[in-house]
Amino acid sequence: MQGTMSGPPGRLPAQSEARALHARLVAGSRTASSDLAVSYLDYLATTLARLNPKLDPADCDTAAEEALLALIRTPLSYDPERMPLDRYLLMSAQHDLKNLWRAEQRHRRRRIGLDPVELSPRMREHIQDMDSDPARIVEQRESLAEARRAQAEAMAAASREPLTREETACLDLMQQGERRTARFAEALGIGHLPPKDQRAIVYRMKDKLKHRLKRTGERHGRPDR
Amino acid sequence: MAGRIDRLARRVEPDQRFLAAALAGYARSEHMSDTDLAASLGCPVETLAALRLCLRPRADHFGDDIDEIAARFQLDDVVLAEAVRRADALESMRQPTLPDAGTGLLRAARDRRPRSKPAPSGES
Repeated sequence: MQGTMSGPPGRLPAQSEARALHARLVAGSRTASSDLAVSYLDYLATTLARLNPKLDPADCDTAAEEALLALIRTPLSYDPERMPLDRYLLMSAQHDLKNLWRAEQRHRRRRIGLDPVELSPRMREHIQDMDSDPARIVEQRESLAEARRAQAEAMAAASREPLTREETACLDLMQQGERRTARFAEALGIGHLPPKDQRAIVYRMKDKLKHRLKRTGERHGRPDR
Repeated sequence: MAGRIDRLARRVEPDQRFLAAALAGYARSEHMSDTDLAASLGCPVETLAALRLCLRPRADHFGDDIDEIAARFQLDDVVLAEAVRRADALESMRQPTLPDAGTGLLRAARDRRPRSKPAPSGES
């Protein structure tokens, strides 16, 4: 396969190449998405599988795909000044993998709670297969992401000012049920501050977003005059 | 590696932002297999997965975008442009027409409106 990335296949792009690749994505290059996927998909999937040996390798593949597609859709979500591209993608893929795993667990718990009828082992196996289908999980994740985007847009419209990248990242974390201050601090780029300051800033940000969400709900619930 | 890239390329096929969607539409309209598609574009069939992962050419940069993709994968740019144009046309034909859009056959089938009296004008 021809490539603008030099070197043998399987080698990760050097940092300068990765920066150039990201710059092409941001500039709207039509081929950068392909180069990104070809350069990083295998690395991400195999690294995820190595780091999470108990998880299904198919889920690792799906999470790696998710991380790449997310960057292709919103290239500005990555800031090359903060960390190398491979590390960013791996973090993003790990996060996606955790979400996949959590979604799967939630489905299993819900199924157990809702299913008072004893199923035959064959039927149970069939249902488990359906629930662990990565395509189904991804489908559910995509509709959830769509709902999140719609809510962020509604919030921005309601307050007449768009959400910043940091606010959007925090909103996503809140909606994923994330509670760790460190994750919010990372999204806000304040990981270098003392924990006490991080807690205060994160608290203020969450409070601000909750108020905006509430205002959005009020505006959208108000009948037209 | 090829398997993963191929799987990702198939996964983005319904997403109109990717070239995969346009190539799929074109291949369907021409009843082409992957081998036929690769042959018409002038590339090895193994190149198709990476090609599908390119973003679709933008209407306002169409020529430049086609050139970029064709140069990167050493394709026949005329066939690539035709494939994307065909896919665009097929998609626009699939867009639902609203009954009150006032166009096409529905408009032709409407009763003729009574001709209104001409507005008084200053001309004599």
